[in-house]
This record gives sequence, C-alpha cells and structure tokens, in this order.
Amino acid sequence: MSAQVRAPRVVFAPFMMGHHFGVPFHRELQRRMIFEALDHLVHAGVSGEIRVVPITWAQARKEGRAIEEQLR
Amino acid sequence: MTATSDAHGQLRSGLWHTINERYPGSMITKSDDVPLASVRKPLRECRLTFVSTAGVQLKGSVPFDTVHPIGDYTFRRVPSSARPADLEIHQIKFPTVGAHRDLNVIFPIERLQELVAEGALGGLTASFFTFIGYNMDPDRVERDLAVRIADAVVEDQADIALMCPA
Amino acid sequence: MSVRYLKAALASGEAEKLIRFVRLHLGDGDEGVGRREIDKAWIRALELLLDVPATDRDFVLTTVREKDPATLAHLFFQLHFFLVRHSGEWIHDGDL
Repeated sequence: MSAQVRAPRVVFAPFMMGHHFGVPFHRELQRRMIFEALDHLVHAGVSGEIRVVPITWAQARKEGRAIEEQLR
Repeated sequence: MTATSDAHGQLRSGLWHTINERYPGSMITKSDDVPLASVRKPLRECRLTFVSTAGVQLKGSVPFDTVHPIGDYTFRRVPSSARPADLEIHQIKFPTVGAHRDLNVIFPIERLQELVAEGALGGLTASFFTFIGYNMDPDRVERDLAVRIADAVVEDQADIALMCPA
Repeated sequence: MSVRYLKAALASGEAEKLIRFVRLHLGDGDEGVGRREIDKAWIRALELLLDVPATDRDFVLTTVREKDPATLAHLFFQLHFFLVRHSGEWIHDGDL
C-alpha cells in the first residue's frame, strides 16, 4: 500500500491500522516513529523512497504491555 | 522504493488489490513521483503541521459524516495546543481501541508538543488538519479537499508536514 | 466502487453492483456482514414498533413532505446506523 500511494517520503512500520505511531503509553516508540519521519525528511534521496522501521508489531505490543505493567 | 523496503512484507499483503477489487476506482493512482522539496532550514527552526485521516476533532464540533455512503469531504482544524481530553474521534472504518486509551498512537499531538518544548522542532502550526479516509470520489479528494487542506497548511505557514493515514 | 463506477453501474442498470457497494459500506468491507447489518436494522425497527407505541407521526410526515430527497436518503443511512447501534450489536470499530 505504501509503495502504491507514491508519497514523496514514506516511513513504514508493520503496525495495526489505527496505531501507526505505536501502542498506548509507549512514549519512546511514538517519539521514535516521529524521529524516523523527520530524519527521512532530511535524508531521503529520491521521491517515493520508503523507510522501513525495523520493529515488529509483536515487539511493540510486548514493550507496551511491560510499560503498562509498570504504570499500574 | 529502496532495497530495504523490498525486503519487508506488508502486514496485510495484497491490501491494495483487495481495496481495488471491492472499491474499484476509489484509489487515487499516480504514474509518477512528486518532486522532492528540500528542507530549507534546520528542523529546530521548522514549524511543523500534522495532517491526519483519523477523524480527530474537537469535542462538541460537528462530527465527521461516517454514515454517508460516498464519504465526507470536509476537514477540521484541531488546535495544535489541544490536549487529548479535548478531542474525540468520529470514524468507524479503523480500530480506535488504542487511540481511545492514548490518542498519540494515531494522533501524536502530545509527542509533537514535547518536541517543540525540547527544541527539536521550531514550532507547530496553530492548527493541525484532519479529515476521514473513507471517500469514494477520488477526483473530489484530489481536486477539492486536498487543495483546501494544502491552502490551509500554507496559510498556517508550515515549513514541514507530517502526514498519517488512519 | 468509486463514484464514477457507481454512476456507470447506475446508467447500465447493474443493480447488483450498487447494492454490493451498500453492503460493503454497511458491513465494514464484508458483503455478507453488510447483508446481516441491513437485516438487523430492519428487525430492530420492527421490534420498536411491535407494541404500536405512540410515535411523532407529524414529525415523520412533515419531514418526508418538506425535506429534499437527498436529505431524506442521507437520513435513511443515518437511521440504519442508529438502528444497528440501538440493537446493541455494534460491529464497527470506532464511533459515529
């Protein structure tokens, strides 16, 4: 989908729809997604370039659950 | 597309084809790429805007029209100084379970406010811009809604735009 | 379907394409679910009227008489979603 849209710069992570910046209360992951986009903004070489963030949805959720446990 | 993106699969492979099969003609197609515009100043001096299709809006404002079969071609301004508690989502086409617990998973308004406070960004536009992604008239999206949003973004003097679908 | 495809289907009388689109819209992209949602709305409407409660018939008749057809069609879609929500079986992510 990301490739078909042909936006000038795309950051992609395999996250669930509606959760493109990560999981609840995982502030660091949400920041990371923004920083990936900002860095890609500056460093993308060609239009349409897609940067893939190397994190899985399972990993994001696992980290999120650990964070929520600590918040309780 | 870079080599790294080739190596990774989509979470839902074939989604593009599924959407085109169920809703033929609903996707805007492009045959070429938009020329890259360079960032002209350091990020710490840039004013950022955020554009979203998550249907986020101020509480009490007229809800996005999620029942209309052809979609809603309006957008809302969301003050970039707003708190998540001031906002609500009117959308039925994407999972909002995470957003209802922490809006930042789809509309990272607090994260962006923090980046400005830390000096990583120069500032935020007075408004962020939201609409809904369910619209079956791609011509109207491209030639009307997108133009109005782009004009509003320019009027708000954005240097850079972070855009995210729902 | 896009508006262009829907208008083409309408012009050529392809009713099945049109109702399929409605079912997809009402069923979150699943035509089978959409069929059930349509039935659910009508069943709920019937359920609400089984005991012949007092209703604001003036409002109903005035609305139908005075509002333009497009507004009434829009209301029709709004009422579908109202009725499925009222049934207590809300299948959609998110909120209206």
